[in-house]
Amino acid sequence: MKFISNKIFLFSLAILLIIIFPIIFLRLNPYTVNIVALIGIYLILCLGLNITIGYTGLLDLGFMAFYAVGAYIAAILSTKGISFWITLPICMLAGGLMRYLLGLPLLKLRGDYLAIVTLAFGEIVRLVANNSVSITNGPKGLPRVGEKIMPIHIFSFVFQDNIHFYYLIFFFVIVSIIISYRIEHSRIGRALIAIREDEVAAELSGIGVARIKSVAFVLSGIFGSLAGAIYVHWIGFVSPEMFTFWESVFLVAMIVIGGMGNIFGVILGVFLLVGMPEILRSSLGTVFIDYRMLIFGMLMILIIIFRPQGLIPSKRRALELHTIEKD
Amino acid sequence: MKNRILLFTFYFLPVFFSGCMKEDHNVIKIALVSPFTGDLAVLGQGMKKAVEMAVEDANASGKFKGITLKLVTFDDRADPKEAVNVANRIISDKKIFGVVGHLNSGCSIPASQVYAKENLVMISPGSTNPKLTLQGLKNIFRVCTTDDIQGNFAANYVINNLKIKRVAVIHDKTAYGQGVAESFKNNFEEKGGKAVSFDGIDSGDKDFKALLTSIKTKKPSLIYFGGPYPECGLITKQAKELGLNIPIFSDDAINSPEYVKIGGKATEGDYATMIGIPAEKLPKAKKFVDKFKNTYPDTDMQPYDTNAYEAASIIINAIENTNIDKLKIVDYISKIKFNGILGKTSFDKNGDTLNKNISIYKIINGKFVYVGK
Amino acid sequence: MFFQQIVNGLTLGSIYALLALGYTMVYGILLMINFAHSEIFMVGAYCGFWILSILPVLNNYSGFILILVFLATLIISGILAMFIEKIAYKPLRRAPRLSPLISAIGVSIFLQNLIMLSVSFQSLPYPERFEIKQFQTTGIVINSLQIFIFCFAITLMILLHIFIRRTKLGKAMQATSQNHIVSQLMGINVNGIISLTFFIGGGLGGIAGILNGMYYGSIKYNMGFLPGIKAFTAAVLGGIGNIKGAMVGGFILGILEAFSAGYISSENKDVITFLVLIIVLILKPGGLFGEQVTEKI
Repeated sequence: MKFISNKIFLFSLAILLIIIFPIIFLRLNPYTVNIVALIGIYLILCLGLNITIGYTGLLDLGFMAFYAVGAYIAAILSTKGISFWITLPICMLAGGLMRYLLGLPLLKLRGDYLAIVTLAFGEIVRLVANNSVSITNGPKGLPRVGEKIMPIHIFSFVFQDNIHFYYLIFFFVIVSIIISYRIEHSRIGRALIAIREDEVAAELSGIGVARIKSVAFVLSGIFGSLAGAIYVHWIGFVSPEMFTFWESVFLVAMIVIGGMGNIFGVILGVFLLVGMPEILRSSLGTVFIDYRMLIFGMLMILIIIFRPQGLIPSKRRALELHTIEKD
Repeated sequence: MKNRILLFTFYFLPVFFSGCMKEDHNVIKIALVSPFTGDLAVLGQGMKKAVEMAVEDANASGKFKGITLKLVTFDDRADPKEAVNVANRIISDKKIFGVVGHLNSGCSIPASQVYAKENLVMISPGSTNPKLTLQGLKNIFRVCTTDDIQGNFAANYVINNLKIKRVAVIHDKTAYGQGVAESFKNNFEEKGGKAVSFDGIDSGDKDFKALLTSIKTKKPSLIYFGGPYPECGLITKQAKELGLNIPIFSDDAINSPEYVKIGGKATEGDYATMIGIPAEKLPKAKKFVDKFKNTYPDTDMQPYDTNAYEAASIIINAIENTNIDKLKIVDYISKIKFNGILGKTSFDKNGDTLNKNISIYKIINGKFVYVGK
Repeated sequence: MFFQQIVNGLTLGSIYALLALGYTMVYGILLMINFAHSEIFMVGAYCGFWILSILPVLNNYSGFILILVFLATLIISGILAMFIEKIAYKPLRRAPRLSPLISAIGVSIFLQNLIMLSVSFQSLPYPERFEIKQFQTTGIVINSLQIFIFCFAITLMILLHIFIRRTKLGKAMQATSQNHIVSQLMGINVNGIISLTFFIGGGLGGIAGILNGMYYGSIKYNMGFLPGIKAFTAAVLGGIGNIKGAMVGGFILGILEAFSAGYISSENKDVITFLVLIIVLILKPGGLFGEQVTEKI
C-alpha cells in the first residue's frame, strides 16, 4: 500500500508541476510555451506509437499517416462548423478503424516486412492527400480560402493563446500516460510482453496473438489521430508536407533513443529530440538544429548497438535484449 | 524506481534554465525568415545578402540617429511547424519591428496568424498563395504577385505573342507550382487555347520520360510548367531527348543560372515569367544590382533577392517615417506609396501589391534575356 | 508510344535491377533489409560526380575514363558497404531482427545528412563528359546512353550470375545464405563471405548511382530514398533473396512505372508502386521466384 500511495503522490506532484510550470518557470513567454506545447503533441504521438513499437515490438514506420488522418478529418469537419468536441471522437474512431482494417492483412507479416509495409502505407497516404485536390485541397492544404478552422470553446471560454492549448494538450498527455500505464500493467500488457518475447510460445500459452496485436495496433492509432485533431485546431492549418516518412522516423528515433517500451523513456526521448535543440538554440544558435538529424542518426546506431533498451531502460527490456548476446 | 526518477530529473535540468537572454539597447531589429537549410537554402541565403545590404544602407544613411538597425535571421526550414515556432520566438522579442518573410506560403500562412496577435508587420517576398492576404489580417503584406497573375500573364503571352494554341501543362504538385499551372490553364482555355493535358509530377522526381512520351502523342506546341528549376531543367532536357522539340514556358522559380546548368542546351528557347520590371529599365534597380555584384562578387543573384530587398526597404522606411513607433507601422505601410527597385509599390486593402508588373524572359545563348511584357 | 514506353521502362529497370541486387543479396545472406543501401547508391553517384568533375573532357580517352570512373566507384561503394556492415550490423547479428533494421535506418539518416551538410543541399548537375547520340526509328527515339545503360547492366548481371554459379567463392556465398553454421563447418569463412556480399552489392549499387546521375543529369543528397524503395519492391517482387528474381523484378518494375506514368497517371505512379509492394508482401511474399516467408502460427 505504501508503494502505491508513493506513486500516486509523485504523480500528483508531476501534475502540479505541469500546471505551474509555464506560469512560474516560463513566465508565460509565448515562444517557450509554444515549444512545450509542441513537445506535448509529440508526447501524445510517441506514447501512442510506443504501444506498437515498445509494448508489442512491431516496428511502425508510417505512423504519421494516422496523424494525417486525424488532422484532415478534423480540418474538414471543422470548416463545416462542427465543434471540436464532436470531431475529436470522430477522428479517434476513424484512426482506430483505419488501423483495424490495416492490421487485418498486415499483422500477419514478419517484423521487418511489417516495417516496410507501414512505410509504404505512410507514403501512400501522403501522396493521396497531395493528389486528392477535391477532398484535401492537395498541396495547398486545408482550410481553403475563405474557410476557417473553428476555434475550440468550452461553454463561453475560447481557446486562443498558446497557454490555453498547452493546458488542453497536457490534459491529453496525462490521459495518455495514464492509459499507457494501465495497459502496461494489465493482462493485455503482459500478453503484449509475452508476444514481444516469443510469439509462438505466447500463442501456445493460449494468448490470441492476432487479436491482441490488433488491439494494440488500434489503440496506438487512436492516439495518433487524437494528436492530429488537436494540432490542426491549434495551428489552424494542415498540408501533406507535414507527414513525410522522415517525420515518422523521427518518432521512432525518439522512442528508440529514450527507451522502448517504457513511459519515462518515451518522455525523455521526446524532450531530448524536440526540446533540447530548441533550448540550445538560444546559446548555440541554429547550428544544432541543422545537425540534429545527423546526430540523431548516429545516436540511433549507437543506442541500438550498445544500449538497445534506451537511455531510461525498463528492467525487463534490458534483460530481454541483453540475454541474447550471451551465446 | 528511485534511480529512474533521478535519471529523469537529471536529464531535465537544462529546461529550467531556458530563456535567459541579454538585450542591447538602441538596437532595432528586422527579422528575415526563410528556409536557410534544405532544398531552398540558396534562396534564403540570397535574400539574407540582399536584406543585409538594405540594413547597411539604412545605417549608413544617418537617418537613424543613435539607433542601429540590425538584421536577425531565422530558419523556418520550409516546415510549417518550425515557421510557427519561429513566429512565436519573433513576437516575444520586442525589439523586432518587422518581418521579411516567410518564403513558402505553407509557412507564411500559419505564421501570419501568430504575428497578427501582436500586430507585427510581415511582408512576404515570395509567398504566392492567394490565401495569405485573404485571411483578414491587417499586418500582412506581400511584394510579390499571386499565382494567378503569373499564370494569366503567361497564358496571354502564349496566345497573343507566340500564337500557340495547343499546350501541355505540367506542375509539381506544390501549392505554388500547381497554383500557377492552374491559373495558366484556366486563362489559356478562356482565351481559346487548348490544354491537351494537365499532369502532376512529384517534386524531386527525375524521370519524366514516360509522361513526356504520353504528352508527345497529343502533339502540343509548347509545354507550360509550374514549378522550380530542378524539375523544369530535367523536363526540357528529356523532352528534347525524346524528340519533342518544343519550348517550355515556366514561372519565376526557374530564374536562376542553375536552370541552364541542369537543362543544358535543351533550355535554349525556353520562356519564363518574372516579377517586376527588369533591372536595366529602372535606375534604382540597376544601382541595386550593380552594388550587389560589387559587394558579393562571386554570387549569382537568386529569384527573390530583389523582393526581399524591397520588403526590407519598405519596413525601414516605415520605421523612419513613424518616428520609430512600432504601433503605427502597419497603418503606415498600408497607405504607403513606395518608389523602389521594383518600381512603384502600394498595397490594396488585403495587403497585395498593386505593382503587378510581369516581364517575359527567354533563354538566348544560355542566358535569360528580357523579351517583353 | 507503346514501344517508347518500353524503352523508357527498360532503361529505368536496368538501374532498379542493379540496385535491387544489393538488397536481395544482403537479405539472402543475413536475412536483413539493408535500409542504408539507398545511401550507398547516392554516395556512388557523388563519387562519380567528383571523379568526372576532376577529369577534363578527353574525347580520345573516353572509354578509358569510363572504365576508370566505374571501377573506382565500384571499389569505393563496395568498401563503404563493407565498412557499414562491420560497424553497424555485425554487432547486432545476434540481436532481435528489428535491431539491425533500426541501425540501418540510423545509418541512412546519418549518410544523407552528412552529404547534405558537407557537400550541398541542392541538386548538383552531373558533368557531361561524353557525347550522346540520338537514334530514331519508326517513331521511337533512343539515345546511346540508354543503350549503354541497358547493355552495361545486363553485362554486369551476367557476370554476377556466372560468378555465383561457377566460381568457388560464388558457391560459398550460396552455401552461406542457406546456413551459416554448416557453411562454417565446411571451412567457409562466413564473415569474409558476408563482407564480400556487401562489397558486391554495394559496388553494384554505387554503379547504379552513377548511371542514374548520368542518365538524369543531376544528383541530390536525398536521391536514394525513392529508387531505394522501388528497388526493394523489385527485389520483393522477384523473390527476396533470389538473384535472378531481383534482376527480373527490376525490369518489371521499370516497365510498370513507365506504363503507369504514361497510360494511367503521372501523379499516381508512385502510389501504384507502393501498392504493388504492399500487395505482393501480403498475398505472395515469396515473390515470383522465392519461397514462403510468412510465419504461420
